[in-house]
Amino acid sequence: MREIGRFFSGFANRNGLPVAIYLLVAVSTWIFVLVILPQLTMFDFSFRHNLPPPKIGGPEDVHTLEQYRYFVMGNEITGGGVNTLDIAVLFKTLVAAVFVTIIDLAICYPVAYLLAQSSEGSAKRLLVLALIVPFWVNEILRAFAFRILFGATGVINGAGMQLGLWDAPIDFIGGNVALYAGLAYAYILLMIFPLYNAIESLDRNQIEAARDMGASWAQVHRRVVIPYAKPGIASGSTMVFMLTAGALAAPQILGGPSSLWFTQIIYQWFNSGGNWPRGSAYAVILLAICIMFVLLIMRVFKVSIGEIGR
Amino acid sequence: MSNLKAFPTGGLYLLLFFLYLFGPLAVMIVTAFNSSSFPRISPWECLTSDWFFKLFEDETLIAGLGNSFVIGIGVVLVAVPVGLAAAIVLSQVGPHLRSVIYAVFIAPILMPGVVIGLSTLIFWDRLGTFFGADYDSFFYSGMFLTIAGQVTFISAYSMLVFLSRLQRFDPTLTEAALDMGASQTQAFVKVLLPFMTPAILSASVLAFLASMENYNTTVFTIVAESTFTTVLAQKVRYGLDPSISAVAVIIVGITLVGAIIFENYNRLRTQKEARAAAASSVPPVARFATNPLVIIGFVLVCMIGFVTWVGTHDSSVCEANVEQMKRAYQQEQLEQQRNRTPATASEPAEQASPPANTGGGVFSPGNLAPGQPEQEEAPASPFGNVFAPENLQGGD
Repeated sequence: MREIGRFFSGFANRNGLPVAIYLLVAVSTWIFVLVILPQLTMFDFSFRHNLPPPKIGGPEDVHTLEQYRYFVMGNEITGGGVNTLDIAVLFKTLVAAVFVTIIDLAICYPVAYLLAQSSEGSAKRLLVLALIVPFWVNEILRAFAFRILFGATGVINGAGMQLGLWDAPIDFIGGNVALYAGLAYAYILLMIFPLYNAIESLDRNQIEAARDMGASWAQVHRRVVIPYAKPGIASGSTMVFMLTAGALAAPQILGGPSSLWFTQIIYQWFNSGGNWPRGSAYAVILLAICIMFVLLIMRVFKVSIGEIGR
Repeated sequence: MSNLKAFPTGGLYLLLFFLYLFGPLAVMIVTAFNSSSFPRISPWECLTSDWFFKLFEDETLIAGLGNSFVIGIGVVLVAVPVGLAAAIVLSQVGPHLRSVIYAVFIAPILMPGVVIGLSTLIFWDRLGTFFGADYDSFFYSGMFLTIAGQVTFISAYSMLVFLSRLQRFDPTLTEAALDMGASQTQAFVKVLLPFMTPAILSASVLAFLASMENYNTTVFTIVAESTFTTVLAQKVRYGLDPSISAVAVIIVGITLVGAIIFENYNRLRTQKEARAAAASSVPPVARFATNPLVIIGFVLVCMIGFVTWVGTHDSSVCEANVEQMKRAYQQEQLEQQRNRTPATASEPAEQASPPANTGGGVFSPGNLAPGQPEQEEAPASPFGNVFAPENLQGGD
């Protein structure tokens, strides 16, 4: 307790009392009132029964595992068993998110390398600026653009049929092609910038030295560039994975009729489903899995969280 | 860009990449000028600017834009000071504590927006119930909840902006001010804040834009109100309409203007720095033509010119023609059908209608929610119907 007191007095000495108060109030309000308490409330709420408002806080308002049991076992009426529907959706969402992350990594690595290793100049700055412009176009509009491209009478079907590549319109929406393309497009910037920042600081002499020693381009990338860019790869992959797994707009707009994203189930429990505790339980599950994934990525790539988000 | 010339495949790859980046936007922009009631390029019907006027008449969108604006200002006013404070606190703690605190501060960015939105909603709802507040109070106000929800992660964005600026801050400046007899508050206000001003500006712009375009968090916290993005999402889910493309034209235009201003600002700064250096040997004409500012400016002038030209262009004659052609085509089909099967003459009119809605069945938003679980008895929450789910689900 005394140590905390000493820390605060040191902090106040260093910044002056008014500034120290501003810093501590702003940061603690943010972290406690806006981040931690809402998460704890949600966590607590996910262990409650779905009660009408007058009964909340009454004798029936006790903790229960009912909502999590529902996720694993399904409805009692359907006769127990396993809730294959929701588990399958969660699994599909995660697999699709990994898939989108890999696509983005494959697309962005060469771009980031070319941009980062090319010489300085206004053309390069313009290219970097051009990367940002599509990112500031609303997420909904980007998804809408892919609806126009991939629709039954869309540009791609139109061009394909005109060229005689296929006869009948291909159902890109139903096949989720539009969804994956749209998601990969939506978060491409978050992959490029960490990669670009990582590769840009690589000394070009290292590449030239490897070339002089007779390394092929594949070897240069495998042995020199990729190991060096590892923090960037981890950071970009984490961001893209988290955003894709937590995406709501693109699956709502571009998702096929037979596919559902896990966030859409959460959304349904909150809106048409009218069961907030169950929605909370599903959100806790999503959050837990995302955190585990980030930890896994950091373990695999041997990077610390301090390197993510730079 | 010597490196790119050395590897033509690399240049080609970059070209393809930027095509992927801008192709969808370009297609969307073009569809805003086609009079076809379904956003598409082919078949091209008539050049029109009607979709823009239709947009300005859309009251829900205008109201949503107003709300988004208020929320954006609110978010900037809270998130930027919080982000600044977080960055300063982070720069003052020791290296070990620093990595722990950094992980906590960065967490809201990594958390799914959906989780932030609904945890904010539940938290303030519980708090409102605990205090026995009215449903009119701020605990249940969509605007307040949205600001709270967005500040949660936008503060972290602005913290990142401040951190990169703080790295270049020379702490001896503050020490010098203190030695000269300034109080710590004075040193903060007169030394650190002026140094941070560019970062404060860019963090404000970033926070405002991030607030404007957020959907995942907002869709939960906005409750009964609406923002620009939620209205847009509703429109897109209801059915495709070229007036949405018109929104895209406006937003892309604004983004380009923003990019020009940003580029201009950067150029001025680099020019100032490079003034001492020797003058470049590139001939002035070439320098002018390759100036990114000139290029973007040229593109923008072309765009504005095009929109104005289309605005004066009268499309009604052309549209009447297309309408007539469609009708003639329908008539023809009808007749053909009648000749073949005289009994069922009432149906073909529908079959012959333009192919605009062939994808209709696929797109109907009801299809997006096939495995919707059974409803529980009564909605437990006071917001059960404030959300008006049928607004979002509808469209069939």
